[in-house]
Amino acid sequence: MGLFILRRSGVMILTALCLTFIVFFLTNLFPNLEKLAKTQGNFRMSDEAVISWLSKEGYMQPLPVKYGQWLGVLPGWTLQGDDGVTGRCIKGAVTADEAEQAKRFCGILQGDWGYSTVFKDEVSGIISTRLGLTGKLMFWVLVLMVPSALLVGVLAGMREGSVTDRALSTFSIITTATPEYVSGVVFIAVFASSAVGLKWFKGTATSAMESANFENFFLPVLTIALYGMGYIARMTRASMTEVMTAQYIRTARLKGVKFSNIVMKHALRNALIAPFTVIMLQFPWLLNGVVIVETLFNYKGFGWVLVQAASNNDIELLLAVSVVSVIVVLVTQLISDIGYVYLNPRIRIS
Amino acid sequence: MTHPTIDRKPVHWAAKMHAQEFHDGKLSRREFLTRATALGVSSAAAYGMIGLAMPTPASAQAASGGTLRVQMGVRPLKDPRTYDWSEMGNQSRGTLEYLVEYNNDGSIRGMLLDSWEINDDATQYTLNIRPGITWNNGDPFTAEDVARNIAGWCDKSMEGNSMVGRFSTIVDDATGQALDGSIEVVDDLTVRLNLPTSDISLIAGMTDYPAAIVHSSYQTDDFTQNVGTGPYLLETLEVGVKCILVRNPDHAWWGNEVYGEPKVDRIEYIDFGTDPSAWMAALESDEVDMLHETVGEFIDVLDDLGYVKSEVVTMASVVVRPNQLAEVDGMKPYADKRVRKALQMAVDNAVCLELGYGDRGKPAENHHVGYIHPEYAELPPQVVDPAAAKALMEEAGMMDFEHELMSIDDDWRKNTTDAVAAQLRDAGFKVKRTVLPGSTFWNDWTKYPFSSTNWNHRPLGVQIHALAYKSGEAWNEFGWENPEFDALLADALKLADADKRREVMAKMEALIQEEGVTIQPYWRSLYRHMREGVENADQHIAFEHHHYKWGVLS
Repeated sequence: MGLFILRRSGVMILTALCLTFIVFFLTNLFPNLEKLAKTQGNFRMSDEAVISWLSKEGYMQPLPVKYGQWLGVLPGWTLQGDDGVTGRCIKGAVTADEAEQAKRFCGILQGDWGYSTVFKDEVSGIISTRLGLTGKLMFWVLVLMVPSALLVGVLAGMREGSVTDRALSTFSIITTATPEYVSGVVFIAVFASSAVGLKWFKGTATSAMESANFENFFLPVLTIALYGMGYIARMTRASMTEVMTAQYIRTARLKGVKFSNIVMKHALRNALIAPFTVIMLQFPWLLNGVVIVETLFNYKGFGWVLVQAASNNDIELLLAVSVVSVIVVLVTQLISDIGYVYLNPRIRIS
Repeated sequence: MTHPTIDRKPVHWAAKMHAQEFHDGKLSRREFLTRATALGVSSAAAYGMIGLAMPTPASAQAASGGTLRVQMGVRPLKDPRTYDWSEMGNQSRGTLEYLVEYNNDGSIRGMLLDSWEINDDATQYTLNIRPGITWNNGDPFTAEDVARNIAGWCDKSMEGNSMVGRFSTIVDDATGQALDGSIEVVDDLTVRLNLPTSDISLIAGMTDYPAAIVHSSYQTDDFTQNVGTGPYLLETLEVGVKCILVRNPDHAWWGNEVYGEPKVDRIEYIDFGTDPSAWMAALESDEVDMLHETVGEFIDVLDDLGYVKSEVVTMASVVVRPNQLAEVDGMKPYADKRVRKALQMAVDNAVCLELGYGDRGKPAENHHVGYIHPEYAELPPQVVDPAAAKALMEEAGMMDFEHELMSIDDDWRKNTTDAVAAQLRDAGFKVKRTVLPGSTFWNDWTKYPFSSTNWNHRPLGVQIHALAYKSGEAWNEFGWENPEFDALLADALKLADADKRREVMAKMEALIQEEGVTIQPYWRSLYRHMREGVENADQHIAFEHHHYKWGVLS
């Protein structure tokens, strides 16, 4: 088991390295750097001015060197300018003596995530704030989605072909076939705008960033939850119907065990193995799939940061976003693999 | 106010002349007020000169205190001279104030300046600083501060410094700095500007949002720490999220005695992105009390929902322009005048106004000077002739060229650009529309080969021409370089008398039309909606937020 976790962690680090290198390569393509120089410096810079700005900011070094500096395995660049020494690990221009005092390495290995060019702030601060906000959204989505999805799935799956099954399956298929950008707009129009006039909820979740309550937070949560709910419910139903036709269930019925007892005691645990994986798979999807909902409800979380970073070629922010995404995806996969072992004794990790 | 001028000097001769022009029907009330107050006549006296009483501001009922939440894009701040958004000015205006203030009736009144005088041929400006102003760190505000800021405005070596364009008269081309002796500190409260040639637009140039007055300790690492003269402090600045201004309890603001104490304790700017439907949702959900600007169909919708509307007619506009220097596939398609003329002739401006802005404004004449500007000269109407346009384009051999017409992804600018594209297609041209999201559009706005840009209102027509149409200016997005025009502009900037200036302006307008520099379809009215109980927060002609006037009833 320990070896398995170790191996998985190794894979995770390797994946993170590969992915960040790809992102690094793409964001450091010259046209992207040129765009960065023009947004940060001056939009009417000449080509020479762009080159000089880029070299001044350390962007003209070879790609592997820059990547090494970002990782923190190579010393950060320094440059002797007119008004003092500038460098990757130095804020502003300082004297040569102060530059000597500064750290030589400042990459993510040293815990330095860099500086966001769009938000003019430390990347680590931005990521933690925004991840926290998306975490809050995800938490409430899971609280709503998982129990209701399992309930719907189990109810539908315990008597395959019954009216309950048909009705609940139809409901699940409709919700999962409706993308968030459709259901979100419909919900806002029906429950939040003056068009219908119900105005039960608020059409934006901006204030939910500071103080979430039922009125301002329910619609975004519902929009995401409904989409995932149908999917998990369908999986649970399939798994439940399979279990309900198994021989040990038939035996139990023949022995005269009450139907409720069969479902609760004998079928449920076996039927929950498949949905467990699906639920764990929802995490990475929630992290980035909420982009639409966060934009629609103007909730400034992780997805919103991703959009802002990508559209402005904010290199260090984008890299941090990818690192976090890789970790979330692989950690949830790890948990799901380990959880599997506990749920299903037939599976062993060797 | 008992004296006719703000500095107790005799009324400027030109102001009296303008009063006569008003009586002769040559000037509108707004034009008269702009010109007379720019010449140092007090607002009350200016109204008096044309036999009107100065309108008293709506009596404010709002008690002191409260929070006003405003929907507005929150942008990263930088040195004020390089500001390219009025939002930036609004974010810092609570702390960093201006020398003068432009108001919706077209008048200019003193803020940090108590008064100013301009000599007869507009070569000498005397700026009298309001006595008793202190910075919020306790330092007195003196003539040195004003001189230092004006010198900063003239610094050509500062990348993206748009104030250079407004103060180019006193900039030395050789050194890229202010001319020696042009900024003279007379005493602690007086600064004199000595101009080598006449320039009438300096005071109007000081009203613009990049002209914020900064302290000598100004830095761009932490904007919440900057010292200013204003009654508010910048408490939080989270780009793209929110910006919060709070009353500064430890600072005795100069304006308390002059314009009354500010009422609102806290102003929160909340960013709701670039989608107007999100702004409406914000207002409807009571997440904000007021919008920065209402656009397009949402004006009617919010009217119907019973929100309070504030409207101001402006010389704000949009240009759909080719860039003459832009290269597409190795050639410069818009360097050919015939191509530009053909594009212009194919487009009916009235149609753009109707489809793009719901007829809320007036059609314009493709030269960016309009009827509110004092020097506006009426030219013969433009001809719209798609057939002739097609012939011209064929003559230029560019019928097969596909024009890529870019715009930002929003409501009215996108629709207006769509209307232009549709008319170009009707004329037989190949047009590809590209709509860019707001987050990327501005990265390169002056460089796009063919795109649309919105332009704010400015008090004088020559100001816009000096900023955007003069060769080599930072905001010359047309890539237009015309020595004849530059010479005419230099002449116009010397003429304090708007009637004389109009003669030159007629030539400049004609030249811009003739060269097919741009399609400038209409002048737009600006709107803003707010909930009941927000007071004195009317839409400003140049999108400025005058926080000290605002009030809020809970």
